[in-house]
Amino acid sequence: MKKWFRNKYNQQVQSSKKMSHTNYDQQDQSLFALINQFKQSGDFVHFYNPQSPQPFWISYFSSLIDVEILHRDILPYLNTIKLSSLEELRGALPIENIVITSDLEIIQKELFKGFVLIQFNEEDSACALVRGEIKKVRELTIAEEEYSVVGPKEGFVESLATNLNLVRKRLPVSQLLVKKMEMGKLSKTEVAVLYLEGIANEENVNTVLQRLQKLEFDQIIDSSVIAELIADNGNSVFPQLMDTERPDRVAGVLGEGKVVILVDGSPHALIGPINVVNFFSAFEDYYMNWQMASAFRVIRLFAVIFSVLVTPIYVAIVTYHYQLIPKDLMVTLVTSRRMVPLPPILEALVMELTIELLREAGARLPTKVGTTIGIVGGIVIGTAAVEAGVTSNILLIITALAALAAFTTPIYRMSSTIRLIRFPFLLFAQLWGLLGIAVAFIFLTTHLLRLTSLGRPYLEPIYPPRLGDLKDAFIRLPFSWQSKRPMFLQAESQKRFVKKQAKEKRDIDE
Amino acid sequence: MKTPIKEQFLVAPFLVFFLVHSTQLGVGVLSFQRDIAEFAGQDSWITVIVSGIIVHVLIWMIYTILNKEKSSLIVIHQNVFGKWLGGLINILFILHFLVISIVVLRTFIEVVQVWMFPSLRTLPLALVYLCSVYYVVSSGFRTVTGVCFIGVIFSLFLIVTFLAPWEFSTLRNLLPVYDHSFKEMANSIKEMTFPFIGFEFLLMYYPFIQKPKTSQKWAHYGNLATMAIYLILMLTALVYFEQEHLLRTSWPTLTMWKIINFSFLERFELIGIAFGAVVVFPKMCLVLWAASRATKELFKVRQIKILVFLLSICLIGSCILKDRDSIDLLQKFVSMVGFYLSIVYIPILFLIYHLRFRMGGKR
Repeated sequence: MKKWFRNKYNQQVQSSKKMSHTNYDQQDQSLFALINQFKQSGDFVHFYNPQSPQPFWISYFSSLIDVEILHRDILPYLNTIKLSSLEELRGALPIENIVITSDLEIIQKELFKGFVLIQFNEEDSACALVRGEIKKVRELTIAEEEYSVVGPKEGFVESLATNLNLVRKRLPVSQLLVKKMEMGKLSKTEVAVLYLEGIANEENVNTVLQRLQKLEFDQIIDSSVIAELIADNGNSVFPQLMDTERPDRVAGVLGEGKVVILVDGSPHALIGPINVVNFFSAFEDYYMNWQMASAFRVIRLFAVIFSVLVTPIYVAIVTYHYQLIPKDLMVTLVTSRRMVPLPPILEALVMELTIELLREAGARLPTKVGTTIGIVGGIVIGTAAVEAGVTSNILLIITALAALAAFTTPIYRMSSTIRLIRFPFLLFAQLWGLLGIAVAFIFLTTHLLRLTSLGRPYLEPIYPPRLGDLKDAFIRLPFSWQSKRPMFLQAESQKRFVKKQAKEKRDIDE
Repeated sequence: MKTPIKEQFLVAPFLVFFLVHSTQLGVGVLSFQRDIAEFAGQDSWITVIVSGIIVHVLIWMIYTILNKEKSSLIVIHQNVFGKWLGGLINILFILHFLVISIVVLRTFIEVVQVWMFPSLRTLPLALVYLCSVYYVVSSGFRTVTGVCFIGVIFSLFLIVTFLAPWEFSTLRNLLPVYDHSFKEMANSIKEMTFPFIGFEFLLMYYPFIQKPKTSQKWAHYGNLATMAIYLILMLTALVYFEQEHLLRTSWPTLTMWKIINFSFLERFELIGIAFGAVVVFPKMCLVLWAASRATKELFKVRQIKILVFLLSICLIGSCILKDRDSIDLLQKFVSMVGFYLSIVYIPILFLIYHLRFRMGGKR
């Protein structure tokens, strides 16, 4: 079996080598041949203008360049000025960084970036490359997944340049370094790794860079592809890199010493290393006073525990441990369940799946229809299900609350995880009641203990226990207490500001 | 001979607190009061304190050996007794660890069978439980320590639940103080060793501690915490139960939980048992980790393979024990062996080691 896999792998490696080899062969030929090859594609334009003072050939991908630039900044000058060499273009055109080269590899690459190729003779090997790429980007909009009531509203968009601008303007310092690389055999996606030099731990930065460099994949369509491919444990349901669409969050975590990955074409930045507690802090927590932020964080934490455990506990108790319920409460439960013919586990599964269905349908449909679906599903199906006697009122309340609680998690990916891990708990609850829940809990804890994010422990301020990091974990203490960066990140410089000054207290009437 | 453990596998010294504490707490917590009270009656709380102090001395002895040797029990035995005799004692210890794991697992399942699911078969639960032990131990000592830590943190709130029985306490039950003969007290102390067993695993995981010398105080604190919990439980049981009643109660802790009730919750002991699964789990993990690690060091085999082997023995062992009598018999046996291997043997090892060390030093 192993051998077979290895053979297959070898074949793949060989075939990929072959592919790159043939590619190289093509490049080995002349520029003329390259252009002829491109001409096969309908969106490649290659034409000759013999009427201008210096006749020239011009070639470009019409799908990649901005016609406005071509008409306004390139053609008028070429058509009026008498040029004797390609070098003179640099003086003639109002565009910076004109590349004059005969290197086919560069030519190919730049053409695909949206450059315009200018030659005087079709057979020439040298040419000038003038940039004229089109920049069609979605307008900056409000961050929708991580909406916040107070604080900045803008979110990332699908353009790397815009996203970098959003981060850079929040951190206008020379320490902010951007390491760019190109990834994906087919997609040639531009990927940028951001960190603050002298603050971010070098080991973390190197881990990210190494993993990205080792990565081989054909298409990097979104940052989530990278998140899955460079995760420490690809089989875990827990996200090991945080994705965010808030530039303020990115700037904030960069200042803490984390590393950020931005991918062209993706409105989500990846943040790492991350620990499980980070997923439960909304960035809004830093815009409210610390008492309120702490209270909401605690509520969120309880919401998560509640959301995972409440339906399993219901199933466990109603199936096995009805002794646990006092007589008065039991009456309520029994009245509610009297008409229900299904065993509790089926009842719970039906309800949970209904909620998942509603959520999935709501997410896939346009917003307006989605809202209707939510109302129809929530009210009509819920009431009808109870009246039809398929499910009990109590369970309906419980599942609805659990679903609501799962959505309090600020990061969408984590809230999906929370909704998913409820199901193994449910099955264990059906198997062994409360004991089964304990066993499932043991498995979950062990899994979290084993997980790492970029080599750092995932369960960090809890285990390994670091008291210092608890100041910004389950609660958020005032900023004046947070004079040190999180120990978790092992930042190169720990101090954020001088603690003494922040804590200085004035005497009375001074 | 001695291979230092890589830095990334070491744990911080203060975690020794949780390691010592969580390995001492086991299923014994649920039932030890009766066994002690059989001998010492209302003076049982003195027994707890005295045994705790004895264990403190033993921990001190272990540290004097370990601080010089800086390696595990296996190497120490081979250095002190030579290859063959040392190897024999090592095998004895490994077997002891293994039997502890069987007893812990089986007694826990017994509690579940008596209190929760009378018709539950041993095999499936043991299998799932041991699978999770495999999951933990196979990811290394750091994860084992993590489980110990989380086990302690999660069970912290259970201490509060022992305040409830005090509402119905009769403090007069504690009188007269010190009304038992020395022999009775000695017997009760001997009986008290089983709940305290677990500190001797220090001998196995010592090389896995960063700056191990600084960890001694944490080991003592860990033992102190265990002693405190046993003391609270013992006193609560003594003031809550009449003596005859206590002697007829198999699991006094669980019986005490029965009186807790809220407007939405009764029969707290069922929740207690579910938490018991989380409390017992670290002990299982650490014991089986120690057993597999010891075998690895002794026979130079891959730990992951030996772990699977030990887990299967544990599974078979716990399935063979069918009824209360056989479990009780094995528990008595382990209790006795534990007494001799830790309470009696460790001072002997201490003496022999230091005598030899001193003589070797002179040479």
